[in-house]
Amino acid sequence: MTRADRLAPYIFASAAALYLLVFTAWPLLDGVWLSFTDTGLLNPAAGEWVGTDNYAALFADPRFAGTLGVTLLYSAATVAGALLLGTAGAVLLDRSFRGRTTLRALLTLPWAAPTVAVALIFVWILNHDDGVLNGVTEAAGLGRHGWLTAYALATVTAVSVWKVFPFVLLVVLAALQTVPRELVESAVVDGAGPATVFRRVTWPFLVPTLRVIALLMTIWSFRRFEIIWLLTQGGPVDRTTTLVIDVYRTAFLESDLGRSAATGTIGLLLSAAATVAYALAERRSTAKDLT
Amino acid sequence: MRVRFIALVPFVVVAGFPLYWMVVTATRRQDELFGGDVHWLPDVTRLGTAFTAAVDGAPMLRWLTNSAFVAAGTTVLSLALAVLAAYALSRFSFRGRGVLGFALFATQMLPEALIVVPLYALFLTLGLLNNLWGLVLGNTAFAMPVAVWIIKTAMDAIPREIEEAAALDGCSRYAMLRRVVLPLTAPSLAAAAVLAFFDSWNEFLLANTFMVDEEKWPASKGLASFVGEFVTPMPTVMSAALLFTLPAVVFFLLVQRHIVAGLTAGAVKG
Repeated sequence: MTRADRLAPYIFASAAALYLLVFTAWPLLDGVWLSFTDTGLLNPAAGEWVGTDNYAALFADPRFAGTLGVTLLYSAATVAGALLLGTAGAVLLDRSFRGRTTLRALLTLPWAAPTVAVALIFVWILNHDDGVLNGVTEAAGLGRHGWLTAYALATVTAVSVWKVFPFVLLVVLAALQTVPRELVESAVVDGAGPATVFRRVTWPFLVPTLRVIALLMTIWSFRRFEIIWLLTQGGPVDRTTTLVIDVYRTAFLESDLGRSAATGTIGLLLSAAATVAYALAERRSTAKDLT
Repeated sequence: MRVRFIALVPFVVVAGFPLYWMVVTATRRQDELFGGDVHWLPDVTRLGTAFTAAVDGAPMLRWLTNSAFVAAGTTVLSLALAVLAAYALSRFSFRGRGVLGFALFATQMLPEALIVVPLYALFLTLGLLNNLWGLVLGNTAFAMPVAVWIIKTAMDAIPREIEEAAALDGCSRYAMLRRVVLPLTAPSLAAAAVLAFFDSWNEFLLANTFMVDEEKWPASKGLASFVGEFVTPMPTVMSAALLFTLPAVVFFLLVQRHIVAGLTAGAVKG
């Protein structure tokens, strides 16, 4: 092996690695460092080391417990809703029939539409006085509702599910293609009904995929910002304030970078915990498969 | 089959209605939207007028141009970095390979909101705030890792024998990447490019935080400035949103298959 050959991988990888160091790893470490200081937005270089004060203040603040609760509730409901709708849609689309490609394209539109445009249209649809949804509920005798005020968290969750379920649908649809046709056919020959075929044959093939998407969806829910920010800005009164909304508000509206960074670091640790839990579950199930 | 079709109808209605409503609103007159009857159908004859109003009523063309600049810059930069990294990850075993792979995967779970503050401080120092190049650099940090996974997955599928034969013919590593590997991964390169474009076209958080001057806003920030605001007529807002949405939807539909393959492969192997 020549010297050039030994160096080649480093040369190829160096640009991307350097980039990640400067624009991801450094800001990340800087963020964690900030969480131990009392830096403000207007004096980003002049923060003093305050140890774990920011963390202590967070855990002593009932508002932070509320934020954590909203984050977990929002994430769990969004992930569950998206998995359910996405899987159901994929199962329905799994056979070839006329118009299938068109339907699939229509069902992926929410994922394809830019979040800012989505937020604009939903704020308009959900508008209390002139929104079409209240027009319909009123005509149906159900009255008008403050979708983004009284039911803010439920509404934000529903819009999020609407936006992300197509991703689940596309991935599960791809996974369904890997179920061997012969296996399904022989089960049918043996007299199994559709429900049994799904539970005994199809489902085991879907489980690994669903686990991966559940992890991705959870991580993405923890970090989702735009939908919530544009619909409610975390309000009314913190009812839709998740960790990242809190991070942004504390930094850019309250100018408390230290506390903002501490909140963000906790969010990052939660995502990491979800990943580790996934990795452990994966290892255990692989071990089970092998024995 | 009919049962499936009927069961899918509510799905399609729910998925499609908001975007349909965007079209309806864009093509209705302002006075038709408030108080009184709901008009359920778009007035397609007004589509042209609606777009003209959107372009005249706000610096929409300026914003869309900014978005196109940022998206194109991010795409080129992400792809250049990703091709080289993907090749290294796919074809060599070297010290630090695992670390690089993990770092690329880890960016997937990094909340942008956490690094947006330090990035703000960094860009302040570098003079990149309120600068479209700053957005290109920031977006690349998130678009490039996904591009690496998509391209690496495609490269992994190319048999090594092809390269060995080329090596016997005296082909250098770099020539091999350019003449042999890249042409064979062209579809995935296209998918990664479109996805990078799509992501940075839609990006809002960095745009909202870093860009101050109105004429430098990308369309995502420009449109967001209309949220909950009633000064600009609703049909104009919706036409502007439609102009912003159409390219994204077209780009996405072009590559949805590759995106799914790339993302799931990245997630499983990460």
